[in-house]
Amino acid sequence: MGETSNRAKEPASALLAGPYGHPFHPILVTVPIGAWVSSLVFDVAAHFVREPTALATGARWLIGIGVLSALAAAAVGFLDFFMIPAGTRAHRVAITHMVLNLSITVVFALDFLWRLTTVSPTSVGPLLLSALGIAALGVSGSLGGKLAYRYGVRVVDEAAQADGFLTIHASRPDSPVGSFVDEGD
Amino acid sequence: MAIAALVTWIITAGFGFFMLGTWISRGGARADASSHFPPPVVFGHFLLAAAGLIVWIVYVINDATTLAWVAFVDLVVVAVIGDVLVLRWTRDRRSANGSAATGTTSDRRASTDTMTARARGLQLAEQRIPTAAVVLHGVFAVTTVVLVLLAALEVGGS
Repeated sequence: MGETSNRAKEPASALLAGPYGHPFHPILVTVPIGAWVSSLVFDVAAHFVREPTALATGARWLIGIGVLSALAAAAVGFLDFFMIPAGTRAHRVAITHMVLNLSITVVFALDFLWRLTTVSPTSVGPLLLSALGIAALGVSGSLGGKLAYRYGVRVVDEAAQADGFLTIHASRPDSPVGSFVDEGD
Repeated sequence: MAIAALVTWIITAGFGFFMLGTWISRGGARADASSHFPPPVVFGHFLLAAAGLIVWIVYVINDATTLAWVAFVDLVVVAVIGDVLVLRWTRDRRSANGSAATGTTSDRRASTDTMTARARGLQLAEQRIPTAAVVLHGVFAVTTVVLVLLAALEVGGS
């Protein structure tokens, strides 16, 4: 069991997926999440301003940026996914997380294409599609959180975590920092 | 043409995804790996192919010819790296099968267990990848490169 769960803590490639204890996937997902949420804010705001065209254009750009950055985040996410042993509960959650996110990316890609054809900047259809995508993103994001915080995927093992909770004095008695603290006391 | 290339590219990526998953989950990327694939080569192939796909999606939307050529050049590099991998994979497979074939079908597994130097090749992470996946990945990859070139040359409609 320890051996099995420890494998999912390691990066498949430190260069692409991030070094041990510092995965890149959670960093990259902030871009599509931010872009898509902002696009929805633009969509809603377009109903309250005199010139909604600029906001509608901005919303479309944000959706496009979200789709491309989601693909980049997915590429790195795949590497973490492959490290989770098959047949485990974490693997099943990871599959749901992956399928949901890929589906959401397709939804936003269709949303983008739809907006290329839609004439009115205040159309409700694309706005609702975005809202649906973001609702699904919330569910999928919580599964991602479960993988990290509940199952510890790509999180260092407890022995390594404990380093952060040793007092500086106790953990590094011979270091200049330690002796400085000592003198200060 | 551009859409056709996008479709074959995504199918190719699907098989690649499966092969990369097999290789990583069998421990191919680990420091103590039983693999003849250097991880930077595998990950380089994956990263450049994924980046190219993103470029291609942008090209499909905005139709800028420069992007089509960027994608094509990228694909040629990806294909060369892929060839390096498939050559290594084929050579190991052939030598492993050659040694296994010395026994009858029924005792082939037993002969693998004895781990002669050549049969050890079957234990390599990348040798768990089925031949069909490698062949289909290759066929769709070649089709994609051709379609991308045709799109860049603006042959046919997009």
